[in-house]
Amino acid sequence: MTTKSELSAANRELIAENRLTIGDPPSAEEVLAYTSGGLAPDQEARIRERLMAYPELVRALTTPFPEGAEADHPDYLSDHEFARHWKALQKRRQRPDGVPRYWRAVGAIAAALAVVLGGLLWRAEVQLRQPQAVWQLQDLYPDGQRGIGGSPNTVTANGESYLLVPSLGSDLAVDQLRAEIVDAVNPSRPIWIGKAVPRTPNGSFVILVPRESLKPGTYRLVVYGITGERQEPLNSYTLRVPER
Amino acid sequence: MNNDDRFQSLYRKYYKRMVRFYVLSFRVTEEDAEELTQDAFFRFLEAMDEYRGDAEWAYLETIARNVAYNRIRSQKTAKRGAETVDIHDRNAIPEPAAPAEPDYAQREEAALRSKRLRDAIAGLPNGSRECIQLWLNEFTYDEIAKFLKITVDAVKSRLRDAKKILRARLGDADGLPEDEE
Repeated sequence: MTTKSELSAANRELIAENRLTIGDPPSAEEVLAYTSGGLAPDQEARIRERLMAYPELVRALTTPFPEGAEADHPDYLSDHEFARHWKALQKRRQRPDGVPRYWRAVGAIAAALAVVLGGLLWRAEVQLRQPQAVWQLQDLYPDGQRGIGGSPNTVTANGESYLLVPSLGSDLAVDQLRAEIVDAVNPSRPIWIGKAVPRTPNGSFVILVPRESLKPGTYRLVVYGITGERQEPLNSYTLRVPER
Repeated sequence: MNNDDRFQSLYRKYYKRMVRFYVLSFRVTEEDAEELTQDAFFRFLEAMDEYRGDAEWAYLETIARNVAYNRIRSQKTAKRGAETVDIHDRNAIPEPAAPAEPDYAQREEAALRSKRLRDAIAGLPNGSRECIQLWLNEFTYDEIAKFLKITVDAVKSRLRDAKKILRARLGDADGLPEDEE
């Protein structure tokens, strides 16, 4: 009689054989794209196949993440314990390995960006004080649901903004929704991260994106559903911003 | 609450549980788990100023998984590029151990049986094969569903199909009971 343990041993051998032909595991960026659900079906299948050859990595993706301990629980770090850890972290931050100089450079770039974005925000705010007729909403259809070939949602600006309406369905069992826009080529690079907003009774969710924040190119909008302290990606939508 | 306060709050809440998460899920030593946890928190601290969302625990989770994923991945990649030895160097390769029991015929039979099982798994339809391979690796129904992005009911149905096909191919009507999780 075939037992589970006998079949498991054969499966381990099969996986070891597959690794020889499949090659290295997918990169963290590929895995992020896989888990956020924004890939074409054939790309997704290829990454899944490579992950299947490395069950330890699948475990890294599927094991539930723990919830935080309450302050009166023994798992909550004491003042003394935290002070010791904090000191070690501060020491690590100040290591003479070029990190502070790098962060100074990042800080300078961030300050310059803040000035530019501040200007853009001020301009947008001035415009938003005036009533405006909205003439075009951009209905977005999720990846994998746009038919064979699945060309991306092409978006065009409505004045100085894009008004995006991702199709989500009305039977969502989540408390809040949150959206992120990432670079389609490098999904680990966020373009914009939105705050969580309560789900409306009819499930409608509209996102206003300043025109200036999306240069011509391809992006991925990922909508997350949040219930309590858990969030899961609901859908992803590939956006193409054409040349102006 | 400023960034340091927010960081302190998350650190105190999550540190011990993240260490346990790494130990149980990634089968690393306590020492390695502490190192991974500190690494994840260090990255989180460095990136915190740039984070614009308000679900910091979710951001911490992403970083924590990435840290573990990259660590395991780099170990796998390092193994593939392991040092090679000259096969003519008699000192480099130890003498093969004398074959232990069972005897040659039994070993041949076991090897043939193993190949038959491997072929049977490899020959399953993709969806059923993925489910049964993950099940054989001790993933729960929920974990399989999450990874394959299908429902738990679909996992159960695919597993039933896989077991049915395997039983038929192996000529083993009593093998792999349905209710075995």
